[in-house]
Amino acid sequence: MSEPLLQLTGVRKAFGEGPLRVEVLHGIDLTIRRGECLALVGESGSGKSVTAHSILRLLPPNKVSSQGHIRYNGLDLLHASDRQLREVRGNRIAMIFQEPMTSLNPVLTIGKQIMEVLTFHMGMKKRDARAKAVDLLKAVGLPQPDVRVDQYPHQLSGGMRQRVAIAIAIACEPDLLIADEPTTALDVTVQAEILDLLQRMVRERNMAMILITHDMGVVAGRCDEVAVMYAGRIVEKAPVRDLFHKTRMPYTAALLSSIPKVTDPPHRKLDAIEGRPPDIINPPPGCPFAPRCKYAEPACDAGKPALEGGARHQWACIKPLGEEVAA
Amino acid sequence: MNMQAPDNFLSIEELTVEYPLQGGKKVHAVTQFTAHVRKGETLGLVGESGCGKSSAARAVMQLPRPTSGKVSLDGQELTGLRGSALQKARRRFQMIFQDPIASLNPRMTIREIVSAPLEIAGIGTRADRDARVAEMLETVGINAEQAMDRRPHEFSGGQCQRISIARALALQPDLLVCDEAVSALDVSVQAQVLNLLEKLKKDLGLTMLFISHDLAVVKHVSDRVAVMYLGRLCELADAETIYRNPVHPYTRTLLSAVPEPDPDAPPHEMNLVPGELPSPVNPPSGCPFRTRCPRASEICAQEMPELRYAAEGQLVACHHPHLDGK
Repeated sequence: MSEPLLQLTGVRKAFGEGPLRVEVLHGIDLTIRRGECLALVGESGSGKSVTAHSILRLLPPNKVSSQGHIRYNGLDLLHASDRQLREVRGNRIAMIFQEPMTSLNPVLTIGKQIMEVLTFHMGMKKRDARAKAVDLLKAVGLPQPDVRVDQYPHQLSGGMRQRVAIAIAIACEPDLLIADEPTTALDVTVQAEILDLLQRMVRERNMAMILITHDMGVVAGRCDEVAVMYAGRIVEKAPVRDLFHKTRMPYTAALLSSIPKVTDPPHRKLDAIEGRPPDIINPPPGCPFAPRCKYAEPACDAGKPALEGGARHQWACIKPLGEEVAA
Repeated sequence: MNMQAPDNFLSIEELTVEYPLQGGKKVHAVTQFTAHVRKGETLGLVGESGCGKSSAARAVMQLPRPTSGKVSLDGQELTGLRGSALQKARRRFQMIFQDPIASLNPRMTIREIVSAPLEIAGIGTRADRDARVAEMLETVGINAEQAMDRRPHEFSGGQCQRISIARALALQPDLLVCDEAVSALDVSVQAQVLNLLEKLKKDLGLTMLFISHDLAVVKHVSDRVAVMYLGRLCELADAETIYRNPVHPYTRTLLSAVPEPDPDAPPHEMNLVPGELPSPVNPPSGCPFRTRCPRASEICAQEMPELRYAAEGQLVACHHPHLDGK
């Protein structure tokens, strides 16, 4: 197994102060290696985006308090200086956001926006940067790249804009690409094309990718490792096959069976998870999933279960599923 | 072809919706869309953004009225109704929208929201209406006693969607139009709302028009499914058939693009000519899908394919459909 590229240890985040303080991440441990795709899955409010934004410290610093370490290349990103961080952002670690309209600047041509990264991080001359921008647009499959380079974001469709965002992200050949729900705003056929493109870029350039999604279908086809988040914690972490076939955490199992599938017969009654995700301001005393878990017992309310299990497959549950199989 | 069978409860005939633009141009949102829904049946309407599914749904609701075409509900032609006659007829068809929070007035209490349709229709006394509101809230799984005097911001997205459903059902409509009703919800909550809609349909004998971009969701609630592309109907068949044996190339593409939550599922070959969705302002000649269709030939550019039966109960508009499973 290769050296870790990025390592999160005990990352905690809280918003606000005093009585308004809300804990949103409760100690996240994650490791990602070169050439690997890690999926961060969870429902809204589970903390997956906060985790991703923490890596590049994109949360407003005056409103957030943090603990823990995010190690990348001998640097602790959580405690690095702004100058050190600027070297990493968009250069070694790049990010793609959900909404391709709002992540691009509407008053600059897409060429300018790609060239900015190249001149800033790679010290390229304007003329070279422009040529490279056209190459990048071609690499991400944008038709007529030499025409598009002078167009503005509003002249492009959602799928094309996301291709531009990808071109910007890969411009400096980063080590790590963080994609936060990159296809949620797109149609299914466009989603498939964009995911194929991301996968190809990661493979061809030997990058690592963290893919944040709520869609288990996207996870199944495109990732190596999966971390499932619930209420600000990682509740299960496993290689993708194990997560689907040897599910240990009841939340993961419940989530998987609540998804409508095209392969199901029509009108199959879905196994909905009763209730709703816990109130993060007043979290339940024990396991955050216990109030909705059909296997919960009194012991589940006694304390927060820590991640346990082997090196590759871990779960945070005192009564994991499939225990009889393991025994 | 007997398109006007007597058991059709909702008939949509040659529905066309156009939005005028400056300079005499038009957005062709829906073109000559025809579909019939039987009583107690759910018709799923799927397609990608801009295919006209929401415009079609709104035209059924007469919000706004379609440019041309006919919509009839239980024999009554809605497109011909005006003023108070239309308002009276509206009691029979109600709608649920995509954004559960934006579709409830934040300044009104849940009691006011759910009783508004009753008040507008002038039904019952205040006490009668309150009783009806309580009954509707309980039906959708909301504790009426606790909820009545609260406002929308005190509820989660899933609960707000239940409240929207209660409001839509307050007048005991026959037809419920759901426009992306579960798209904004998390999967665990989405499943709850889908199960609720299925239960209500059975208990109340509702006829539903269910619009969604999510093919898996549509399969779970629909008896029949219509696939649209660029304002036109591509294929219409019962849910089982259209998912098992789609004959329109676009339906096949759409299905193969759905990511399956199974790591061992074979990767699908998405058979699509690279390119972009054409503009509905200036749709391609002939078949609208031809610019991206791997099977397109000369005739596709010249003639719009007519709707015809590929099999019993399976309508398709294509010059080169995948017949015999090929």
